[in-house]
Amino acid sequence: MEPEQFQDVFQRLEAEVQKVIVGHNDVIRKVLVAFFAGGHVLLEGVPGLGKTLLVKSLSQALGMTFKRIQFTPDLMPSDIVGTEVLADTNGRREFQFKRGPIFAHVVLADEINRATPKTQSAVLEAMEEKQVTVFGESHILESPFMVLATQNPIELEGTYPLPEAQLDRFFFKLLVAPPAPPELREILRRTTGTEVADIVKVLPEDGGKLFKEMMLLVRQVMIAPPIEDYVVRLVHATQTTSQNGGQASVKQYIRFGSSPRGAQSVILGAKGHALVDGRVHVSYEDVGKVIFSALRHRIILNFQAEAENVSSDQIIAEVIKQVARD
Amino acid sequence: MASFANPRERVPPESLIKQVTAVLRHHALWDSLLIIVPPVLALIYGLVFLRRTAWIGDLAFVLTVSSITGLGLLAVFLRVRPRIPSAATAARLADEKSGAKDHFLTLSTIDPVTCQQSFLERLRREAAIFSERIELKRDFPYQPKRWSYGSVVGSLIVATFIYFVAPLAEPMLRAAPVHERIREIAEKMAERPKLKGIAEALKALAAKIEDPKAPDEEKQKLVQEIEKQIAEQQKQEQDKNDRELLDQAANQLGGTEQQQSASGKDQQKDQQNGAGGIQSNLPQDNQGESKQSQGGSGESKGERTAELSQDMQQGKSTQGNPKETGQDKNQPNQSETKNSQPDPGQPGKDQNKQKADKNQGGSKDGAGRNQASEEPPQNVAPGERLYKNGEGKEGLKGARYVTVQLPEDVAAEVKGESMTGKESKGNRVGAKVPVSNVPLPAHVPNAAMEKQQLPIEYRGIIR
Repeated sequence: MEPEQFQDVFQRLEAEVQKVIVGHNDVIRKVLVAFFAGGHVLLEGVPGLGKTLLVKSLSQALGMTFKRIQFTPDLMPSDIVGTEVLADTNGRREFQFKRGPIFAHVVLADEINRATPKTQSAVLEAMEEKQVTVFGESHILESPFMVLATQNPIELEGTYPLPEAQLDRFFFKLLVAPPAPPELREILRRTTGTEVADIVKVLPEDGGKLFKEMMLLVRQVMIAPPIEDYVVRLVHATQTTSQNGGQASVKQYIRFGSSPRGAQSVILGAKGHALVDGRVHVSYEDVGKVIFSALRHRIILNFQAEAENVSSDQIIAEVIKQVARD
Repeated sequence: MASFANPRERVPPESLIKQVTAVLRHHALWDSLLIIVPPVLALIYGLVFLRRTAWIGDLAFVLTVSSITGLGLLAVFLRVRPRIPSAATAARLADEKSGAKDHFLTLSTIDPVTCQQSFLERLRREAAIFSERIELKRDFPYQPKRWSYGSVVGSLIVATFIYFVAPLAEPMLRAAPVHERIREIAEKMAERPKLKGIAEALKALAAKIEDPKAPDEEKQKLVQEIEKQIAEQQKQEQDKNDRELLDQAANQLGGTEQQQSASGKDQQKDQQNGAGGIQSNLPQDNQGESKQSQGGSGESKGERTAELSQDMQQGKSTQGNPKETGQDKNQPNQSETKNSQPDPGQPGKDQNKQKADKNQGGSKDGAGRNQASEEPPQNVAPGERLYKNGEGKEGLKGARYVTVQLPEDVAAEVKGESMTGKESKGNRVGAKVPVSNVPLPAHVPNAAMEKQQLPIEYRGIIR
C-alpha cells in the first residue's frame, strides 16, 4: 500500500464522519489515527456533544460491525463478554456460548465509569488481550477491534472512576469540547430540518485486509533518532521516581508519571499523523500534535495539583517547555 | 564559502547537509579565531616592543612568541572542537531555512537499513525539492559574535596603548651599556665649567670600559681615582644640580667598580681552578697560603681585623691570649690576605705581620682539631685536651667576633681613652668594653666550680 492511498482512505473517512459530526475535526482525526494504530480511545465530555454519534458514524463509514454497551452499575461481565446457555440442537441439549456485545469491530462503551470495577475489568481485559475467556474457553475477538469508551466528567455520584492501570490501556484520551457558536449553528441546521445525512461506506467489502495494510503502513513510517530521543526525554521528564526525571516545578504535582505505553502511543500516533499529512517520516510537529492525547490520562496528579487546580495538560505543556529538542 | 555549489542547481540533500556542516564549521572556526587571535597578536606586539628596547633577548623573544602562538592555536583548537556542528544540527538548520518538516534531519540521521527503501527514496525526493530553497550565502551568513567584537576592540586598545606609550617608556626600559651611561653623565658634566675635569676623566673611563682589551686593573684604578675626585668635588660643591650630577656619577661608578671587582674575582677564581688549588671549606694547613692570591674586597676587612688584633695584643681584650688567638681558622686567612696586598699608607702593618706569623702557626694546629673535633689533638699540652675551641682555663679563648667600625671621632676618643685605660681603669665603661660581641663569662657568686674536667674525646660517650 502506498502512503497516498492511505491518505486518500483516511480523508474520505474523515469526510464521511464530518457529514454527521459538526466540528470536532481534531477528535475525529485522532480517533481514526488511534484506530489505524490499533489502539482504543477514551472520549471525555459532557452529555449531548455527539460522542455516541461520532462512534456510530465512524463504524458506518468503516463498514464494520458496531455494538454499543450502555454501562450501568448493575451491568455484569457476562452481559458484555457473553455466557454459556443451554440450547436444544437436534434433540440434544448442550451448552452453547452466547457472544456478548464485545464481539464487534467497533464497540462503544458508553459511560464506562458507571459500571462496577468488575465489569470494567472484563472490558479492559478484552481490550488488552483481544480475547475473552468464558468457562475456561477462550474466544478470539473480531479483528480489527476497537473500543471507544466515553465518560462524563460531571455527575460523578454513583460512578467508579477507572483505575490508573485500566486508563493506561487507552491509546488516546480525547476531550470533547462544547461546540463553538458557528458549529452550534451548523448542528442546529442539520438536526432540526428534514435533511438527513447519508453516510457512505468507505472501505470495500474485504475491509479487514485493507485495514491491516493501513495498520502496517503506519508502523513503517520512519522516525529520526533525535525525534525518538526527544519523545523518550519527554516521557522520562514526567516520571517522578527516576533520578533524572522532570524538574521540581513538574514533579511537585505528579504522583505517577507516564508508562512506556505512553511513549509507544506518542510514536505511533505521530506516525499516523505523518501519513495523514502525506509524509513517510515523523516530524517534531507530529509529536507535538499527539503528545497531549497520549499522555494526559497517564500522568496521575497528586493532591497538591488537585488543590491548585492544575491539570495534566498544564503539566505536559510545562514538560514540553523544559525539554529541549536537541 | 565561495567554493560551495550554486544553490540554484539541484543539490542532493545529503551533500547539502555536508555543505551546511562545513559552513557552520567555518563559522565556529572564525568565531574562535576572532576571539583568540587578536589578544595573541596584541601580546606579540608588546613582545616586539620589549625586544626593540632590548628588555628581552632574541632567544627569549623567539621562545615567548612561539609559546604564545602555540597556546593560541591550542586554545582555538580546544574551542572549535566542541562547537563543530553535528550532521543533525546542520540538518535541523537546513529544515528551518527551507521550511521542510524534518526532512533533512530524518535523512541525515536515520539508518537506511532499518527503513523501507521506497520510503527513503520518497524522503530524498522531497528533501531535494526543499534543498532548492536554500542558498548557503544568504541563509547561512557569518555573523561575528559579541565576544569577537569585544576581543578585537580590546586588543586594538591594548595595541594602540603600546604604540603610543612605547616611545615614552622606551628610555626607561632600554638597558644601555655602562660606558654609554657614563658618557652620558660626562656630557652633562661637560656643560658645567666646574665639573669639566671630572667629565674628561669620565669620558676616558668610558673609552676604557668600551675597549675590551684594556686590563681590568687599569679600569678599576681609573674608577677609584675618579671616585676620589668626585668625593672631593662633592665636598666643595654648593650648587644643587652639580651635586646631583656628581651623585649620579658616583652611583654609576660604584656600580661599575662592583662589576669590575666581581669580574676580577671571577678571573682570579678561574685562574685558581686552573692551577689546581684545593677547593674545600674544611680548614687545612695550607689553606691560608692558597688563599693568599685573593684580594680586592677583603682588603679593608683585613685592615680592621689587624687593628683589632693589635688592640687585643695590647691587653684590651679580657680574654686575649696571643698564643691561642691563632686557633681561629678565619682570622689568619684575613690577616694573610692583608699581608698579600700591603697598603703602604696603613698603620699597624708590623704588628699585623707578627700576628699573621703567629696565626699561621696556630692555624696548623687548629685545623687538625677542626677536622675531627672529638679526636685527641696532636702536639697539644695535656691540659689543653680538656678544652674545646673557645674554652680555656681563663675562660673563652680564640672566640669569633664581629668587628665594629666606629665613627672616626668616637673611634679616636675610644682609642685615646683605651691608651690610658690602664691608668683610668673603671673611669669609663666604654674603655673596658672590647670592640667585639664576645660574651663575658657569667659571674655567679658562690657558684660551684666543675670539679673534674672531661677530656673532649670522652664527652660524647659519657654524656
